[in-house]
Amino acid sequence: MTDFDLDRLGDVWRRQPDPAEMARLQRTAAAVSRRARFSQIFDIVAGAAVSAVVIFLVWTNPRFETFLLGAAAIVVLLVSNMRLRKLRQVELRSLTGSTEDMLDQSINRLETTLKYKLFSLIAIGPALAVGFLLAWAAGGNPGVPVAPALRLVWRGTTFAVLAGGVVYLVFAIRRERRELQRLRAMRESYRLEGESSAS
Amino acid sequence: MDVQESAAPAASHRGDGNGSIPPFERIVADYGPLISRIAMSYEADPSLREDLTQQIFLAVWQALPSFRQDSSLKTFIARVAQNRSISFVTKQVRQPRLAELPEKLEADTLNPEESAIEVNEREMLLEATRKLPLPQRQVIILVLEGFDYSEIAEMLDIAPNALALRLSRAKAALKSMLEQSQ
Repeated sequence: MTDFDLDRLGDVWRRQPDPAEMARLQRTAAAVSRRARFSQIFDIVAGAAVSAVVIFLVWTNPRFETFLLGAAAIVVLLVSNMRLRKLRQVELRSLTGSTEDMLDQSINRLETTLKYKLFSLIAIGPALAVGFLLAWAAGGNPGVPVAPALRLVWRGTTFAVLAGGVVYLVFAIRRERRELQRLRAMRESYRLEGESSAS
Repeated sequence: MDVQESAAPAASHRGDGNGSIPPFERIVADYGPLISRIAMSYEADPSLREDLTQQIFLAVWQALPSFRQDSSLKTFIARVAQNRSISFVTKQVRQPRLAELPEKLEADTLNPEESAIEVNEREMLLEATRKLPLPQRQVIILVLEGFDYSEIAEMLDIAPNALALRLSRAKAALKSMLEQSQ
């Protein structure tokens, strides 16, 4: 490759893949679109099923409490669906916009996630202290009779869940910090490229 | 190839004239190779590349309803594919590997000797492209894909002069890498 001709390199670059590779691509795309359609249908069916169960429960128990709980369940369902839809729209906008905008949005999103996770990690300490204080105030009495073995299992499970949560948060924070560094470096490379093009 | 002299090459798939988006299967048949090449230029590891290709197909599938035909469908798909590739790359902890599987690049219309030469040439081109800084890599990929300069400037949201400068730097870097790799 001694001559440097982008038109010729473009011809080399764009040569059609062999039929086997093309068939593999089509299979991959078909599987992806099938999964995406299934996921869409599942979302609709799941939402309809939950709503139907709630309506059925309210219908068969026509009391103020069940009506209130049913209405609250529907509102939660609607709000979570709307939130999910909004998140998808934001992601789509970032994919169809400019790369710099996408990087800015990704950085903002990751910074928010990191803050949230850091806060969660820090909050575990005070939350544990409050929990211990409450247990101490209750005199170690859970209010209902509990077998010692069950109490041991309960404490063990609580400890495992907390320890697992802390380990998960520490690793997630480290991973996301590295990702944030990479995103910022990429953003910086675009900024420098833009600056040197403008000067 | 000069910025000023760029005519619209093979890239002008502007809509289809009747305002409708072609079915996904048709899009895969027409633009699958483009998506595959973009994935290849961002990810060298075959299993990760397969993952990236799936993510691009999914992103295109999800984004298609938002296609407003204010640009060509090819431009729209290339933009989605590049953005998805870049966000994919940022999630990878390790640095991208540089040499991979020339057999995937084989063309179907050449004799074995020509094919071997071309595979080698494409492999070198791909490796050199992967080594370029991201802003330059984006420009080179789009030029190699046959987009005209106005489309590239629109896609990257930069002025034509800035594009010309970026492209000239990218060409110089690519040329130097290709010469070194010989």
